Amino acid sequence: MRRCKSKIIVPLLASLALLSACGQNTETDMDSQLAAVELPNGMTVKEQIEARQGHLKKIGKAFKSISDQLKADSPDLARIQAAAALVPKEAEGMADWFPEGTGSESGVKTDALPVIWKNKSDFNDKVLAMQEAAAGLDTVAQSGDVATIATAFQATGGKCKDCHDKYREDD
Amino acid sequence: MTTEPARILVWDGAVRLVHWLMVALVPLLWWTAEQGYMDWHKRLGLTMFGLVLFRLLWGLFGSWTARFAPMMRRIGSLSSYLGKLRRREPGATFGHSPLAVLSVFALLIVLVAQVTTGLFSVDVDGLESGPLAIMVSFETGRQFAEVHEFNFNLLAALIVLHIVAIAIYRFVLKEKLVGAMVTGRRSRSDFSEAHLPDNRPRKYTMMIAALLSVACVIVISN
Repeated sequence: MRRCKSKIIVPLLASLALLSACGQNTETDMDSQLAAVELPNGMTVKEQIEARQGHLKKIGKAFKSISDQLKADSPDLARIQAAAALVPKEAEGMADWFPEGTGSESGVKTDALPVIWKNKSDFNDKVLAMQEAAAGLDTVAQSGDVATIATAFQATGGKCKDCHDKYREDD
Repeated sequence: MTTEPARILVWDGAVRLVHWLMVALVPLLWWTAEQGYMDWHKRLGLTMFGLVLFRLLWGLFGSWTARFAPMMRRIGSLSSYLGKLRRREPGATFGHSPLAVLSVFALLIVLVAQVTTGLFSVDVDGLESGPLAIMVSFETGRQFAEVHEFNFNLLAALIVLHIVAIAIYRFVLKEKLVGAMVTGRRSRSDFSEAHLPDNRPRKYTMMIAALLSVACVIVISN
């Protein structure tokens, strides 16, 4: 009786597994085709999306360490300065991180909204405003006055949000 | 000659105040998070933290219907209570019914998880963070935020279940439960027991628990 059951079940499971594997393959094939498209800058779509996410995560990390220090009773100026210096470097060339085809239509997971490519010049203006604010934050941080740093930090954060509110999928 | 008071205290003032403040805070916390009013979200979240902490202390030292130990003992009669429910004759329970005990514990566990993860959460931009997020890395803080967001759905589901249960008691089982959570009292004759436990809250214990909770909130927020 037991043998009989397994005789039916094994091929059934095997064919089911095969079927689902087929379904997955066709889907990922299409996605990976778009993701593998080479961009004019030499990167693939997937590489470009992952590269910009990497930069933005590093900026987030730097912002957290600045915000941690600003909240602390005695802020560690050296850590603020190191983080503030990192932000403009990580944000360099940001406007070029978003070539056509690097939206969610590529199948790569991204929160970048299609509206970016409809308003590319407004998007680029906002990126530039953020880069300027970040450069200002860096300058102020190296001067060493915590109250001024806090103001510049707020301003830079505001410039990030200007773009994120409009061009990023709600988190 | 002594006469039984017609209406007796079921839910003490602390239980009711905490309950209704939570009712007000949950939607406000959800709304401030959705709108990105993070300063208010943090203030209200710390208030919620204080309320949850107080409720846990009150579960240890509070009045009889507020305490966890008698609630745990009630779980023992869960199956007989479910039988009564099936016959649609639950009768009034002094305090939490065995089923309500499970609901209270689930709600409290989810609330504890919610306020704790909130303390360590970091937003995706690294710009906003909970008062204890300084102790964790950006990546860990992001994970706390993910759990915070997911756990809210559990909280919302339990709240819906809570409201549906109250509606079922009201309309199917003809048991009105909301009134007692407002006034604290029910008619003595609603309860079939000859002797009910002493349910008086101790005033000084209440003050100490409240002070301790406020002190904890102040320490965390600084």
